[in-house]
Amino acid sequence: MNLLRTLVLIISLTVGLLAENPAELDSLFEQGNRAYQEENYPEAIRFYESIIARGYESGPLYFNLGNAYYRVNNIGHAILNYERAARLIPNDPNVAFNLQLANLSVKDRVEAPPPFFLFRWYQNFLNLLNMRGWAVIFSVLLLIATGSFAVWLNLDVRRLRHGLKSLFISSGVLSVIVALILFQQYRTQTASHFGIVLSEAVSSLSAPQAGSTELFIVHEGTKFKILDADENWIKIELIDGKQGWVPGTDVAKI
Amino acid sequence: MNRLKIFSWLFFLQLFCLNAHGQDLRVSASVNKNNITDKDVLIFSVTIEGVRDFPEVPPPESPDFVLISGPSQSSSIQIINGQMNASKTVSWQIAPTRTGQLTINPISIKYRGKIYSTEPVHVNVTTSASSQSRSTPPPSGTPDKQATTGGSEEVFLKAVVPKTTVYKGEELIVSFDLYFKNVRTFGRKKLPDAQGFWREELEAPTQPAITNETVDGIAYRKATIQQIALFATTTGELTIDPMVVDCEVIQPSQRRSIFDDFFGGSFFDDPMFSKTKIVTVQSAPIKIRVKPLPESGQPTSFNGAVGQFKIESKIDTLQIKQDQALTLQYKISGNGNINSIKLPPPDLPNSVEVFDPKIEKKIDKSSGSVRGSVTYEYVLIPRRQGLLTIPALWFSYFDPQTETYRTISTSSFKVKVVGSEDLLSGRSVGLSKTEVSLLGQDIRFIMRENPTWRKSGQTVFSEFWFWLINGFSMLVLIGAITLRWWTEKMESNLNFARRRQAWSKCQSRLRVLQKMVDSAVDEDFYAQLSQAVIGYIADRLGLPLAGLGPKEIEQELSRRAIDSELATKTVKLLEKLDEIRFLPGMTAKQDPKELLSASREIVSALSKVI
Repeated sequence: MNLLRTLVLIISLTVGLLAENPAELDSLFEQGNRAYQEENYPEAIRFYESIIARGYESGPLYFNLGNAYYRVNNIGHAILNYERAARLIPNDPNVAFNLQLANLSVKDRVEAPPPFFLFRWYQNFLNLLNMRGWAVIFSVLLLIATGSFAVWLNLDVRRLRHGLKSLFISSGVLSVIVALILFQQYRTQTASHFGIVLSEAVSSLSAPQAGSTELFIVHEGTKFKILDADENWIKIELIDGKQGWVPGTDVAKI
Repeated sequence: MNRLKIFSWLFFLQLFCLNAHGQDLRVSASVNKNNITDKDVLIFSVTIEGVRDFPEVPPPESPDFVLISGPSQSSSIQIINGQMNASKTVSWQIAPTRTGQLTINPISIKYRGKIYSTEPVHVNVTTSASSQSRSTPPPSGTPDKQATTGGSEEVFLKAVVPKTTVYKGEELIVSFDLYFKNVRTFGRKKLPDAQGFWREELEAPTQPAITNETVDGIAYRKATIQQIALFATTTGELTIDPMVVDCEVIQPSQRRSIFDDFFGGSFFDDPMFSKTKIVTVQSAPIKIRVKPLPESGQPTSFNGAVGQFKIESKIDTLQIKQDQALTLQYKISGNGNINSIKLPPPDLPNSVEVFDPKIEKKIDKSSGSVRGSVTYEYVLIPRRQGLLTIPALWFSYFDPQTETYRTISTSSFKVKVVGSEDLLSGRSVGLSKTEVSLLGQDIRFIMRENPTWRKSGQTVFSEFWFWLINGFSMLVLIGAITLRWWTEKMESNLNFARRRQAWSKCQSRLRVLQKMVDSAVDEDFYAQLSQAVIGYIADRLGLPLAGLGPKEIEQELSRRAIDSELATKTVKLLEKLDEIRFLPGMTAKQDPKELLSASREIVSALSKVI
């Protein structure tokens, strides 16, 4: 019991240390918000971007930055930041709303087929919690499973013997499921396979060379899947399946 | 037609003959008067004779004279007795700049490689008593002799300015007053030049009003024949050049006959019967000092406007559909340098498309001053719906009357921009129903709270607590298995196995007995029931089965400080079972069901304590 108490202490300490907001970032964030409220959008963008330049990010930060870009009519950057916000805070209704609104201004309106309902449910379920939330659930489940197994295996507690067995089996199975969800989220969050067009109009070429045949033109704010990338060129695939190479400077990864 | 042709041929031939034997160019210079006063204007003429193709004549150059107007040319061809005489006269009006014996330098004319010169012309210039008549009233006490005697010079032109010191950009009205006695008509010959000024001629009435005015005791008639408005564009000492006017002066009859005396001079003095004479008069130049505008208190919105102005703004509608044009008008009207007024563009949000303004200037010069208005008409197209605020426009001017800067402003407007139906229908192609409903909406407001920051690209997997907890779980798992393995090894004896299997062994025995209760109960039932209970206790407590009876069990239980009630219950059950087994005739009286359930209760009660 003593061991458990010290463990809890250590955990809360480390979580606390990591969760502590650096005051400087908070002040930049607040300055950006103030500039936004005073309708000084370029200034707000500067403050928000300076936080990102320092190597930090958060869902509200990307959301506010997207708003500021939307206000200065920079739809490409607005959508990029809304998508990034949606990556960090997936189930936020405000992010979803603004993203939907910004998408109305996109010239290439490629309508994706509605996803299969089971897949949609699965996605919604996945997005019920952010990655941190799933990680907490996974950790707790795993702790319960191993703990109950250890007790069942070694300590001959007569009254709990049957309960313990069902407990560690069910929590073990659940933790495996949550681990799969967690892994899926990890993949979508770290290695993003989607990007946004930032330039007003970009011609998509048949090969990663300037001067090769132009296949189609994509416009600012269009979302695409990244298939391949080299130093300067990115191979994109639009929702409707069109593929082509665009210069890396005209697009950004979500 | 034919005759005309022949005539022109003859004419040409004659000209040719003349040219062939003539070639002698004669030039001469002359003035109309040799004795003049210093304020008189002289006509200097150069006459060229003898040739047909007249050369260019340069203007006279003399330091003592100033050129007022010219050149005017007249040419004539006379044919007298078959002799053709062509001449051309070029004349200038010049005025002396000083008194004395002045000389007009010879003029050189270049003709077919040869240079012909005129003789110098000498003019005697005297100071005249009426010399100031053109610029200033005659000096008091010295009445102009010529004027009183009805001389032709009894007319003069006076330039009048209300003040000689003005601010840069301030309007200065210069009036030219003609004082005269007997003038039939006049003609403006030369309007004054004014370098450093922007000049605006005010509209003069075609028939100037004539008033009577006495200058130094002499009655004149006065008419303001011209007014100009000047706006200084630079600072410093500036000069308004003279204006020159030709007047047709009525000359009283020089021959005063007996009839004139008889008729009292009234009849033949009538202009209808008088001779007239052209008199050229000029005003004196006026020096004006132009002050710069005061530096202090100059508003930031000041843009050089000087005068008295007012500003108005007008908008054609206060409610408009998105993407439709709106007209915004700013009008500055007033008195002053209207021409140099510039309006700053209105400060509009960038959701509004603003086109270059249509600028319209209206200047009215009929009211004795420069008045007018400047209108800026902007076409705006709001590109977003909502409330569009057009802020007030500030305009500053300098009021030279009060010598202060004044700032005036328009009112601001609030225009309601409603979503455009056309846009909706135009864009709704390819939009889903929910998206159409979004068209009229604005984005949601920013999030002001930020709970946590995370390092870019980092996930929960790079956080310490995650690995700490899960590492701990793994440690627990490994520890538990190791512990289990260790205890099993240490307890690799019968007792441990017996303890762990006691429950299931006992339960399976009881299940068999239950079956027996349901079908047929025999003697063996009680022995097996007794063994099941004793076996369980023995397994749990690690006791050897041999020789284990109720007495021994009671001892063991009491040694382990088991609840005495449960212990006595157990012992009583076991003793009863023994009794049934060993005393004949007891079997029939017993209820095996009750015993079995009692045994179950005891075993399960015991399982919680041992």
